[in-house]
Amino acid sequence: MRKLWLIIKREYLTRVKTKMFIFSTVAVPLFTVGIFVLQIYTSRRQADRTLKIAIVDNVGGLADSIMKGLNGKLPNGQPQVAVVKVLDRPRVEATESLRAEIENGNLDAFLVVSADVIGGAPAELYTTNASEILFDTSLNRALSHAVIARRLNERGIKLQDVGKAVRGVEVKLIKVSDQGETEEEGETFITAIAVGMLLYVSLIVYGVTTMRSVTEEKNSRVIEILVASVRPFYLLMGKILGVAAVGITQYAIWAAGAGLVAAYGVTVASNLRPGASLPQLHLPLTLLVYMVVFFLCGYLLYASLYAALGAMVSNDQEAQQAQTPVTLLIVGAFLLFNVILRDPNSPLSAGLSLVPFFAPILMTLRIAIQMPPLWQIGLSIGVSMLTTVGTVYLAARIYRVGVLMYGKRPSLGELMKWLKYT
Amino acid sequence: MEASAVALAGVSKRFDTITAVSNLSLRIHQGSVFGLLGPNGAGKTTTLRMMLHIMVPDEGSIEMLGQPLTDSTQDLIGYLPEERGLYTRMKVREVLIFLAGLKGLSDAEARRRTDEWLDRFELASWREHKVIDLSKGMQQKVQFIAAVIHRPPVLILDEPFSGLDPVNAGLVKDTMLDLRRKGATIILSTHRMEQVEMMCDSICLIHQGRNVLSGELTAIKRSYGKNTVRIEYEGDGDFLNQPGVVRSLNRFGAVTEAKLVPGADAQEILKAAVAGGVRINRFELVEPPLNDIFIEKVSGAHAQTVADHQA
Repeated sequence: MRKLWLIIKREYLTRVKTKMFIFSTVAVPLFTVGIFVLQIYTSRRQADRTLKIAIVDNVGGLADSIMKGLNGKLPNGQPQVAVVKVLDRPRVEATESLRAEIENGNLDAFLVVSADVIGGAPAELYTTNASEILFDTSLNRALSHAVIARRLNERGIKLQDVGKAVRGVEVKLIKVSDQGETEEEGETFITAIAVGMLLYVSLIVYGVTTMRSVTEEKNSRVIEILVASVRPFYLLMGKILGVAAVGITQYAIWAAGAGLVAAYGVTVASNLRPGASLPQLHLPLTLLVYMVVFFLCGYLLYASLYAALGAMVSNDQEAQQAQTPVTLLIVGAFLLFNVILRDPNSPLSAGLSLVPFFAPILMTLRIAIQMPPLWQIGLSIGVSMLTTVGTVYLAARIYRVGVLMYGKRPSLGELMKWLKYT
Repeated sequence: MEASAVALAGVSKRFDTITAVSNLSLRIHQGSVFGLLGPNGAGKTTTLRMMLHIMVPDEGSIEMLGQPLTDSTQDLIGYLPEERGLYTRMKVREVLIFLAGLKGLSDAEARRRTDEWLDRFELASWREHKVIDLSKGMQQKVQFIAAVIHRPPVLILDEPFSGLDPVNAGLVKDTMLDLRRKGATIILSTHRMEQVEMMCDSICLIHQGRNVLSGELTAIKRSYGKNTVRIEYEGDGDFLNQPGVVRSLNRFGAVTEAKLVPGADAQEILKAAVAGGVRINRFELVEPPLNDIFIEKVSGAHAQTVADHQA
């Protein structure tokens, strides 16, 4: 037992101390959050001062309603756009003088509303800084509103009446479950997909890490002194558990980080607007417990398969090719997400979530969407555990022989013989 | 009767259609240096792996210091495999502490002995370096430390001197002899016959999985008698061409070794030399070198199996 512990410890420490681990643990979330923040920042960057514009109104009387529509405010309370000059049906061409005012900085832009804008002609916006997003949105909306109101008015219709007439019907989604009926805004789906993806990605990532770890020991030939000191089964289990601990550490760090960020976000939000809260992901405790159970089953199942593959091959390139069948099993489960999401309780979904190699991922997905009958969950756990015991047993037998074999990858027939060796 | 460190009784091991080891019986005395010899593919590694409990024999039994093999007998053995290998990305000291722990030492004891051995092998300044930064020779020394750090009563060393310069080879040899003085049994597997002649008390030569020659080295050599003449001469070497007397010649430059036809008289060579006017600087009747015995046994056994096959 002490030897098993030493193996787990070495596997864990040498992995956690690598630059790659620190990099991927810190960089992945930072990068994701960084891009997110950058987007928010750039989309708001322009709106820090009032933009001065002029309107050349060739229709007549439209400028007022446009100005009413420009009611956006900056964070400091000042209006986003100030109309500093209105030219109502000017007799002379005003463009040249307005152009000059832009150049000497008195104006940011001027809008020329052509006489036939009601009939469908476009308006023109002159500005030096074409990237000012504000013009695209606020000004466009204000102008469109003014023009539409005028068109309706000419037909004797009031804008407010139209608004009432064309209003759509809202459909509220109510989720029916044991806990009672709750209003649903898509969180269940998002949670389910997130949980499924998380299982899918971690099974592949940590499975492949286990495989690499096996080939590494085999290639460096250190395996020879290891098997002369410890039973191969303990070596295999130590490796699998050590890598699992690395994975759990990484998720724990991310979860703690996300928790801190969320707590900080709530504080900031409630300072800005009392009573505000961030949109929350539904993660009921039962789901979390099932997730852990199925993750452990799935991880042991796939990690042992990957480890057996690692023991069969003699270099990384061979490992790349050899891992395909196992990776395909996990990808297969991923491709079946759709079937489950469409109808989680159909006989097809129920059947698939009991298939040995798919059960851990697909049953978790079903639980996340809609609680299946308890007997199905139990059966799925049973199937997963039996498969896991089977794969660990086979993997241990292949590992024991494979780590000492170099050269050609074994054929299926040779593999069968390996299983019989003592 | 002396106590056996390792005893194999009728051990066989087959892989698929190949018989790697066939009905092998051996006794290795406690405190001796034992040479396990044989050509490539003779079954040496399989035999060692069975002693190490890495593989289990199909037939027969193995005892280590009087106990049948179990997981715990693994801790009684120090092993230096022919294919060297360490965790290259770990630090020297960490690797040794880890491997010592796997042999049953406590953390504190593993640390203490690691530092002690690194000092002794002049690697103290490298202990915080990664293994990959060490020269080949230094890595060999680290691996040797890993084999002896838990002071095992039985040491299995496969080509212990390969890749070592004379200074380090001397260091390893002295350590081996020192451990032996303290009671350790050393099993040496090597192709270097001069090392066997210098170090081993007894040997076993295996070929195609079978024991073809075993016993005390001195007794084996004595049984061949002094059938070899070691000669140094100046002049024409024609006097050695006597098919009735000299069976084969082995020229090493300055020295020539002539193997005699059984029953032939060495004096005939000397007479011919004098008659031919050759100056003789050395003329010595010796036991055959182990190298010759090895070649004779292996090719002889080969001829024998071929004959068996054809019969």
